[in-house]
Amino acid sequence: MPDPSRHRRTRTADRLLGALCWASALAVVAVFLWLLWDLLSQGLSHLSWSFLTGTVEDAGRGGGIAPVILSTLLILLVCLAVAVPLGVGCATWLSEYQRPDGALAGAITKAVDLLASVPSIVFGLFGMVFFCQVLDLGFSITAGGLTLACMILPIIIRTTLTGLHSAPNELRLGAAALGMTRHSALRHLLIPAAVPGIVVGVTLGISRAMAETAALIFTSGYATRMPSSLSDSGRAMSVHIYDLAMNVPGGAANAAASAAILLAVLTAINFTASKLSDRWHAKAVVTR
Amino acid sequence: MHKIPSYIPQPLLFSLTSIGIAATLLCSCGKKDETRQLILTGSSTCAPMVADMAKRFEESHPGTRIDVQSGGSSRGIADATSGLADIGMISRNLKEGEDLTPHRMAMDGVCVIVHQDNPVENLTKQQVIDIYTGKIENWKDVGGADKAIVVANKAEGRATLEVFLGYTGLDNADIQADIVVGENQQAIKTAAGNPNAISYVSIGEAAYEAEHGTPIKLIQADGLAPTTGAVANGSFPITRPLQLVTKGEATGLAKEFIDYATSEEVHDLVEKHLFVPAGN
Repeated sequence: MPDPSRHRRTRTADRLLGALCWASALAVVAVFLWLLWDLLSQGLSHLSWSFLTGTVEDAGRGGGIAPVILSTLLILLVCLAVAVPLGVGCATWLSEYQRPDGALAGAITKAVDLLASVPSIVFGLFGMVFFCQVLDLGFSITAGGLTLACMILPIIIRTTLTGLHSAPNELRLGAAALGMTRHSALRHLLIPAAVPGIVVGVTLGISRAMAETAALIFTSGYATRMPSSLSDSGRAMSVHIYDLAMNVPGGAANAAASAAILLAVLTAINFTASKLSDRWHAKAVVTR
Repeated sequence: MHKIPSYIPQPLLFSLTSIGIAATLLCSCGKKDETRQLILTGSSTCAPMVADMAKRFEESHPGTRIDVQSGGSSRGIADATSGLADIGMISRNLKEGEDLTPHRMAMDGVCVIVHQDNPVENLTKQQVIDIYTGKIENWKDVGGADKAIVVANKAEGRATLEVFLGYTGLDNADIQADIVVGENQQAIKTAAGNPNAISYVSIGEAAYEAEHGTPIKLIQADGLAPTTGAVANGSFPITRPLQLVTKGEATGLAKEFIDYATSEEVHDLVEKHLFVPAGN
């Protein structure tokens, strides 16, 4: 005979759990909305087409942020151009060329995890000494991009590894049975299977890179001039927001406007990445 | 065997790699030509103003390029000494052992600030010392409400901290701070957000914020009102210079820029950034 009071208790517990989950979800949404509202209420009146296309005037209190947006995108390009091939290559080596219990692979995986937990200011100081001074790149978009590449490398390696590990072992066995070379197995089977993981890594990496201030202020720098080459110093959006909010009296409104644009760019990148990932994944599944 | 279609990742990787190669090429062949270049690093207080000066200098001196970088006075000293920067920016006086040549651009006053609702108007130097060393812990002892004082101090290495220590004659180790802040704006936000807080910041910045509705109040020092006028005529007791520093005497483009940045041509920029032109 089931005990009715116990039944009631479980039901109450169930309801409580449901309510807690709902509350957590709503709290997250509320925090985001509040942040968005805060940004837009301060910055919306400063957002305009000329803000997007103009140059920085009056230490950022006037004019627009076109050079800053361009610098940010260039830094991001340098960063991805280095981090994605390197990260995917490293993950492939770890997953496909090494035994998972191998000493070397273990050590490298540990190193990657450790690298992921290093605070960004440390990357900034490292970048300043290594890229700017030792490699003599100076304050430049290249130095900033390379510093960011070091920073997002662990993210890309980790997610690619997860992607490769999720590829069923039958793929590898089948490829071996058919006498496929390792190269074509990777190219036609394993890397496509890892694409969703790679895309997640790249998206996370981009978000982290775009939000970065500490690693960039010492490497790509502070200059607000329109960059004419990758060896120019260029101010990233997050550095611009930080400087306006912290060092420029009366810069708060333009800081909020710049932050709103940064948020919009990030949303667009996230959206595109998830759409692309869906498409590639669908293709990969169909051909399998 | 049926052909497995190739996936987008390969073109993606390919294009990213080509961008990387293009980037390297761009780096190696871009500029480094006849443009004369100058790098300045240092004080985050000076950086926005000097960046404005640099912009105007570049316009009137074609073929020059002045890159202004931020990072703090200590970094300005270090970079000018090591040669990483042609010119350092500092928002304080040079100290013993800092073997650099100073060039004064502007003056800045530092004043104590509290929340707008705090009834206190004036603090003597001794009262400020007692508050910061923890001898006075309640606002009622200096004519305010019966509330505990929340002491905000600046972080080590900040030029305003050094100016404040110079004024009070305190050692940073003597200060009993509840909060340690970095930039001026952070100190202003602390005082604006807490009715019992006390902090100290650049006068120009505090006056600007107070005029634009931030709920802070500038406190008189020994009965002297903190105004840019009082800083200009030298009557206000807590001031600091905003300076460019070079290793040895400046030469070439560095000298040209320093002459420009200390000339009357940039006084409007100095005032726009709420400082007081030097030599007034």
